[in-house]
Amino acid sequence: MDLVFSRDSFTLRGSGIFGEGVHLVSGPVGSGKSTLALLLAGLLRPESGTVRRHGVLSADLLLQFPEHHITCPTVAGEAASWGLVPEDALALAELSGRADDDPFHLSRGELKRLTLACTLLKNPDLLLLDEPFSSLDCTTKRKACGMLEERDAGITIVFSHERAVLPRVDAIWEMEGGVLAARGSVPDAIPSWRHAPPYLRYALEQGARPVNIRLSDAREALCRIRG
Amino acid sequence: MQDPRLRLLSVALLSLAAFASTAGAAAALVWWLLFTPRMKSLPRPGVLLPLVAMIAATALVSSWGGGAGLSYLFRMTVILLLAAWAYAETEDGEMLAVAVWALGNRVGFEAGLVAEMGISGLSVLRQEIEQVRTAIALKGIRPGVRSVVPLAVTLIVTQIRRADEIARLLVVRGYTIGGRICPRFRADPLDVPAAIMAVIPALLSTLPLRDVFILVG
Repeated sequence: MDLVFSRDSFTLRGSGIFGEGVHLVSGPVGSGKSTLALLLAGLLRPESGTVRRHGVLSADLLLQFPEHHITCPTVAGEAASWGLVPEDALALAELSGRADDDPFHLSRGELKRLTLACTLLKNPDLLLLDEPFSSLDCTTKRKACGMLEERDAGITIVFSHERAVLPRVDAIWEMEGGVLAARGSVPDAIPSWRHAPPYLRYALEQGARPVNIRLSDAREALCRIRG
Repeated sequence: MQDPRLRLLSVALLSLAAFASTAGAAAALVWWLLFTPRMKSLPRPGVLLPLVAMIAATALVSSWGGGAGLSYLFRMTVILLLAAWAYAETEDGEMLAVAVWALGNRVGFEAGLVAEMGISGLSVLRQEIEQVRTAIALKGIRPGVRSVVPLAVTLIVTQIRRADEIARLLVVRGYTIGGRICPRFRADPLDVPAAIMAVIPALLSTLPLRDVFILVG
């Protein structure tokens, strides 16, 4: 990927290679994460440059606002519109009893669970998740992280400003002011991660070296140095 | 045309003229060619062409039934051009200002608020159609007759829900009836001549052409 995209006064620049594994693109709100996700999904065209895919036969994007995915008047119909067996998606989203409900009658968190379950069940080669943890409670965030970590193949790119509950990742990228910067592979990238969560910063300040970016990794690293 | 009062008056007169007769529509088209930025005021082809196609389909059905299909197509297309120009020129708050100027702070404010909400609803609807297009692209759904109905239902439900939310928001903010604004209008030197010229198509559409022109034959 090597691209430049402009809209009004905003310009996005980014280059790099997203290999197999889980990538976290972090950065503050409005830094260009969603725009980059749309560019990588092929839903926006760069002004210059290109996004090249190698060995990617299927791709899916989870949009930031789950209501933007809705194309059917029932929850079961919505799951079916993803080309899935509705019962499977509804069970994963813990919405089995809501099959005939209007998707707009679900809370945003429930709707997020549904769309997240649908994208994960489709299991594409390239999975782009724009703010997958927003609107979710802590328990569901942890469950979502677990499901992401279970994906054993393909490229997963998580675009998020989340700083409390995060999945185990293989690489960290940062967006700031429309510029994408590669921080590198984890754990080497952690010390240079500017938007690292407070628990990771604390662990680093204490001299610990977490092996990944989760709270449990920071805790384990602290335990190791404290005996 | 900068003055929204004259623009609204001109659009009303020209639309009535275009609707009433083919001659009125032809005169309104001449007015559109003379006093508007013409093609610059049109929406992108993806929005305009489906609207023209809908008018053409109705005209075709009308022709089939022995009606004046071609005249209908011409008249409605001219109205569409006028509507596109008026929509492109309208700025936020103008409808409220015109309504308050015309009907006062109570009835005018209510009418203007409804008009403003309607116009802003159009741009929201356009965004929602874009979002739905993105969603169906992501899901790999082929656009067709079978997918149109649930999409249309989704869009209508979303619009109704949004209207309900705005109504609740107004209540929460203490809105009951009416309001007070001091409307101010900008004007262009060409506004008045253009508005006066808009009367000609209206007159042409109401007068039988044989009474105005001596027709040979």
